[in-house]
Amino acid sequence: MDRRTIKVDYLARVEGEGALRVAIEGGILREVELRIFEPPRFFEAFMRGRSCMEAPDIAARICGICPIAYQMSAVHAIEDALGVTITPAIRALRRLIYCGEWIESHTLHIYMLHAPDFLGYEGAIEMAKDHGEVVRQGLDLKKVGNELLAVVGGREIHPVNVRVGGFYRAPTKRELRSLVPALERARDIAHATVRWTAGLDFPDLERDYEFVSVGKAGEYPFNEGRIVSNKGLDIPVTEYDRNFAESHVRHSNALHSHLQGRPYLTGPLARYSLNSDFLSPLCRQAAKEAGLGPTCNNPFRSIIIRAVEVLYACDEALRLIGEYEPPEESFVPTPARAGTGYAATEAPRGMLYHRYKLDADSSILDAKIVPPTSQNQPSIEDDVREFGGAWLDLPDDQLRHRCEQAIRNHDPCISCATHFLKLDVIRS
Amino acid sequence: MDDQRQAVITIDGLARLIEALREDGFRVIGPTRRDDAIVYDDIETVDDLPAGWTDEQDGGHYRLARRADTALFGYVVGPHSWKRYLHPPLLRLWRAEHSGGTVTMTGGADPAEPQAFLAVRACELHAIAIQDRVFLGGPYVDPHYKARREASFIVAVNCGQAGGTCFCASMKTGPKVGEGYDIALTELLTGEHRFLAEAGSERGAALLARLPRRGAAPADQEEAGAAVAHAEATMGRHMQADGVHDLLMANLEHPRWEDVAGRCLTCGNCTQVCPTCFCATVSDDSDLSGTVSERKRSWASCFSIDFSYIHGGSIRQSGKSRYRQWMTHKLATWHDQFGTSGCVGCGRCITWCPTGIDITEEVRAIRGVGDGVA
Amino acid sequence: MTAKRTASRKPKLAVWKFSSCDGCQLTLLDCEDELLAVAGAIDIAYFPEATRAVVKGPYDLSLVEGSITTPHDAERIHDVRKQSRFLVTIGACATSGGIQALRNFRDVRAFTDIVYAHPEFIDTLATSTAIRQHVNVDFELQGCPINKHQLIELLSAYLNKRRPNIPANSVCMECKQRGTVCVLVRGAASCLGPVTHAGCGAICPAYNRGCYGCFGPKETPNTQALAAELARAGMDERDIQRVFRTFTSNAEPFRQESARHGS
Repeated sequence: MDRRTIKVDYLARVEGEGALRVAIEGGILREVELRIFEPPRFFEAFMRGRSCMEAPDIAARICGICPIAYQMSAVHAIEDALGVTITPAIRALRRLIYCGEWIESHTLHIYMLHAPDFLGYEGAIEMAKDHGEVVRQGLDLKKVGNELLAVVGGREIHPVNVRVGGFYRAPTKRELRSLVPALERARDIAHATVRWTAGLDFPDLERDYEFVSVGKAGEYPFNEGRIVSNKGLDIPVTEYDRNFAESHVRHSNALHSHLQGRPYLTGPLARYSLNSDFLSPLCRQAAKEAGLGPTCNNPFRSIIIRAVEVLYACDEALRLIGEYEPPEESFVPTPARAGTGYAATEAPRGMLYHRYKLDADSSILDAKIVPPTSQNQPSIEDDVREFGGAWLDLPDDQLRHRCEQAIRNHDPCISCATHFLKLDVIRS
Repeated sequence: MDDQRQAVITIDGLARLIEALREDGFRVIGPTRRDDAIVYDDIETVDDLPAGWTDEQDGGHYRLARRADTALFGYVVGPHSWKRYLHPPLLRLWRAEHSGGTVTMTGGADPAEPQAFLAVRACELHAIAIQDRVFLGGPYVDPHYKARREASFIVAVNCGQAGGTCFCASMKTGPKVGEGYDIALTELLTGEHRFLAEAGSERGAALLARLPRRGAAPADQEEAGAAVAHAEATMGRHMQADGVHDLLMANLEHPRWEDVAGRCLTCGNCTQVCPTCFCATVSDDSDLSGTVSERKRSWASCFSIDFSYIHGGSIRQSGKSRYRQWMTHKLATWHDQFGTSGCVGCGRCITWCPTGIDITEEVRAIRGVGDGVA
Repeated sequence: MTAKRTASRKPKLAVWKFSSCDGCQLTLLDCEDELLAVAGAIDIAYFPEATRAVVKGPYDLSLVEGSITTPHDAERIHDVRKQSRFLVTIGACATSGGIQALRNFRDVRAFTDIVYAHPEFIDTLATSTAIRQHVNVDFELQGCPINKHQLIELLSAYLNKRRPNIPANSVCMECKQRGTVCVLVRGAASCLGPVTHAGCGAICPAYNRGCYGCFGPKETPNTQALAAELARAGMDERDIQRVFRTFTSNAEPFRQESARHGS
């Protein structure tokens, strides 16, 4: 009688195929299941036997929105296994290419996947009818991220230029300089985006998250650093497996990840809260004006943080281009040898961990890939469970929408999570 | 002796030649080193030329190598031909906009920017002449080719050595440049590094007169002759060109076609690098609103299945029929169509074929001579 | 002959996802300059990635991304076909089975055990197959990912009732027209360009690497001749097999060629 079932059959405005099932009994949220029914593709399995040189191209296909993240984690882990060190110029180019992805991916989320929730629209196309300028601005900003990816990476989706050891071809100074006017324009739009998102309506909901990100890097993290948390974790990437474990639950094709048995959160909220000191002065100022402190525990405000990170990516890209000197060699030698390598890099959605075990001829014996959305699943379910309590009195329709929004706060990338919103709310 | 038509210039003179052309408003295009090859690109100064480099070419094989000297033109032809600048790979023919019941057309042949081709080889001069016949010699003149052709200034170069896949001597298209140039240079390396320069037109002579130069001595002319003779004697390939037309037309069912089809990728590379291949396709693009339409022309290839598409389907389904079409057109029916062979013996189709198919070897095989016998 | 667009209603577009990385759908959202024009010309009726709003079918044009890898999807595609006047597959997953078709060469149960602790929770097929292997398809747009200009061309062609200008010839044609120096002939890299379908604009050779065939086979490819050439240039049997087994491994010519090689 008192049992209510609310289902989001197919979560919209998230990447990939997911659904949500919530059971409410006696006025309490009992079960929350983020169901990932995205078909599993078994990347870790078919990478076995491939040359390590193929890993960046194969791993990229885990996700069309964040292929660079997969390429970066792959090449860094493999270089770790091969005992190879890249040059400073290559290092700089890798930060630069990541900037392109952060701009493109975060802007996609802010304007097209998340903002419609705040403004009461079904999607960006509908939103464009009343807010044409805003949507156009978002598209312009996203385009600049894509242009950066096309120049440094060869193309926007599944870039071709990333390889173990560096790049197949280093861009010329002229090619990078040609991006400067667009990036300066993008920086302005990004700043305006921070201001605009800061003015949206946010529920006053917070949780005491255990944030995890790459950190202690002396810079806002992309490709290098230790793994840190706000509750005392501070380990080198090589110790990831000793602290984090994946488990397989019935309702999800994506593995769940826990830190020493506890759920944790990775992504912009975590990254910001653990590294905000390293943002550029422009970004720290913009964050302050947007009402953000040094940390943030309200996931609804993640949209502001993504905007700050886009601003950072524009700023950082301009800095890197200004200092760029093409390397003598676009890649360092990578002689074959057996070994195991580890890397964690910061995808737009959070920490992405790769581990490869290589044979003496550098074929892959074993691959482990832990995407950020997998890691966030338990926390996402906890969000719905905790926040849902405040919404239980709403009619099913609105409850459903709030639950979806609670999921969209974390920009889940479900195709990644199953490299492997049907919301069932059962009220009783 | 101050001869209007012949003189000797040094590298400084060549530098001045490039400068003068640029001052006169020409975009100078010539050989330069990029991506481990010698390609045609913008030349700003004489330093852009590949001094001291040569090429090693064979079927499906191209490498650069250092020379013992600092010759500026010590190589033969690379993957690019002048076709790119006369008959461009992609051209917008016209654009139409439909607005308020009226259709406005823009396009046609824009006046082409003046361009100077630096280091055109004898085979290439012949190739340009062949394309002149194709695009200008028939009842329908191609206005785009015409505009670009009229805007071109040609500085030719006599080859001092032949390449691994060269056979211009067999095709009687070189190595000595014939006609169709404004200035021709022969690089001379013994003693002083200099060039024998010959004017081939009034404007060539006028430009030559503006360069620091001295008269050509008999020694210069002898050395120039020897250089060309050396090129003639070092051809990498040979084709017995006489009677090829009849040979091929009489052997359309020769088993050799099947043999070459096994090796042919139908990738189209040969047609793209060939300086005389001219086939193009035309497509109409319309935009989403249906109010703007553009007609574009782009390079095509008889090796694509779509090339022979007519109502009902493509009539050259097999690689064998496409290879045979290409070779018989190039060496046989081109004579019927345009009065000469379509082949100038530049060897690009041999070098840039990934599987190294050699047109001279295929002819030999059909003749039934030499080691190419099927 | 000009296309007459009925003022009454815009054609309805639906975008469907099967087993894929999402990159090809994202390509539509990456048409930043054209997206609003597309939305003006077409009624985006079903596109969960972009909007919660759903206009029920039938649909005039369905874009299908992803391959068939589960029993549920093998049924769902028939439903999609029934509701679609035109069905166009976009990307390597939909047109050939994608990278996940590598399972076709192995035992997928072993794969499931490697990745999942409770394989009994996973309901998956032994193969990853192209959409064409299940339902009739009206047009296939190849690519991994597809080229956004070709997607716009496809939509333009559909709206203007003309054939799309999507050549099926080799990547070599694009390379040569671009002016890139052949990486195979200059000995810089192994390259599948001569047997691969054009459409990407020949990016890889312009970035100093060989084409790895992500657009799938061109029309009438001679993979045997290319494989022989790669071998002559020093590629070993294992690498030749691997190079034909990437994103379009299940496309017939590549599948057959890869089966001729191996360690």
